[in-house]
Amino acid sequence: MPALFKTEKLPGEAAGPHPRRGLLGLLDGRRAGDRLGLAPELRLGLAVTASLAALIAGDPLALGLMLAASLLYLAAQVRPRVILAAYLALAVLAGLAAGCLWLMGFVFQALRNISLDAAVNPFLRLGLSVNLLLPLALHSRLTDLSGILNRLRLPGLIKLPLLVTIRFIPTFLNDLNQIREAVGLRFRGRGGLLFWARRPLLGWRVCFTPLVVRLIRSADELAVAAELKGLSAESDFGHRPPRLRPVDQAVAVLAALTLAGAALLEILHAAA
Amino acid sequence: MSTSARPAPVNWRRALWTGRGLFETRDLVTIGLFAGAAKAVTLMLALVGGGMNPVTMILKSAVFSALWVLLLTKVPKTGALTLANTVAGLLGFFLLGQAVISLPSLILATLAVEFLIAALGGLARGPHLAVLAVALSELAMRLINLFFAYLAMREQPELMIMVLMISAASYLGILLGLFGGWKMVGELRHAGLIQD
Repeated sequence: MPALFKTEKLPGEAAGPHPRRGLLGLLDGRRAGDRLGLAPELRLGLAVTASLAALIAGDPLALGLMLAASLLYLAAQVRPRVILAAYLALAVLAGLAAGCLWLMGFVFQALRNISLDAAVNPFLRLGLSVNLLLPLALHSRLTDLSGILNRLRLPGLIKLPLLVTIRFIPTFLNDLNQIREAVGLRFRGRGGLLFWARRPLLGWRVCFTPLVVRLIRSADELAVAAELKGLSAESDFGHRPPRLRPVDQAVAVLAALTLAGAALLEILHAAA
Repeated sequence: MSTSARPAPVNWRRALWTGRGLFETRDLVTIGLFAGAAKAVTLMLALVGGGMNPVTMILKSAVFSALWVLLLTKVPKTGALTLANTVAGLLGFFLLGQAVISLPSLILATLAVEFLIAALGGLARGPHLAVLAVALSELAMRLINLFFAYLAMREQPELMIMVLMISAASYLGILLGLFGGWKMVGELRHAGLIQD
């Protein structure tokens, strides 16, 4: 990986082993409850495969099997409290949707006679997506992304901007914090949220303008630095093939077996 | 006797892989920074205001589209929007699992919009085409997302009403952001931060 992205410490970056706080802390990822420590590539692969399978499947039993397996996958990586909170939010959304449907049933009689498949399948697919995407969202870190980029054969055209992004986000979040603090000091005691609700254009100006000016200045400075270091999309960014540990392989095999089972159920459902 | 040198054949595979002749390092760095900033701001707003809050949804769409208009004014080249959307999409995909299925079609839709803008004269003609490019690409992306949402809810398409409301709110934010971005381009030009 080029030195610009490897050795230089940018403002806002963690200075030592201590975890970053506030918004910057999110960049380090929260590993609590992750008992498997799966490879990020495997998490991504499973999310894509399961999302595709959920779109294709139409049998509630096949979707139910995938949902049960994905719940085990989720429980092995995320704390029960977080799972409960996610499912509570899902239940609220599902309740809202079901409530809308019930109200619409008074107008459209056809909505009162829906089949089991029609009633259950959309929610099974939603649950499956949550189970697969929650570990990805909670445990992915920017450093993981840097590693994935090293293992993928992406064009330099995409790799260079992505590496810039990875290096820049901590600095940018630090800038955002500074803007927030400056705005807080300048407009203290003006009525808080009510003041901003009455003056949205002023809010846009005082928050967005400094953000854009800092962004454009950073872009110019980093572009000059990259050019001076001879960095371009043709640079050699290095490539290391991915390696899966036994636990990754075991999870991949279990996922393949679940998919095979779901496919069998789907075929039986279609034949019946 | 004049001996005219034959031009070297263009290696298209290499050109597409490295962007040689399409983008300079400066452009790629700018695209990376704007994509990172757009993701960071939207993530921050989602965390502060809650993901499904309509005000936050409108606000983050507004910031996103304003940043995209500024980016296209700073890098007015065909392919810049596709590259920026690809980078932002991959970032969301790797970190949050966003658009796991729809990402390739979103990129293709943006590419189609870019060809249309190129046919109209290209982004260098002025910021009005940057505004049009962002408006069309965001509309195309929402339509594609609605199609995938329909596939997931095909047994009960009435549930789509919620998705439609969410999409409409976020597109309203996009339109507000386009206006904000347009105004800001004028101010930044006046300040000399963006060259004509």
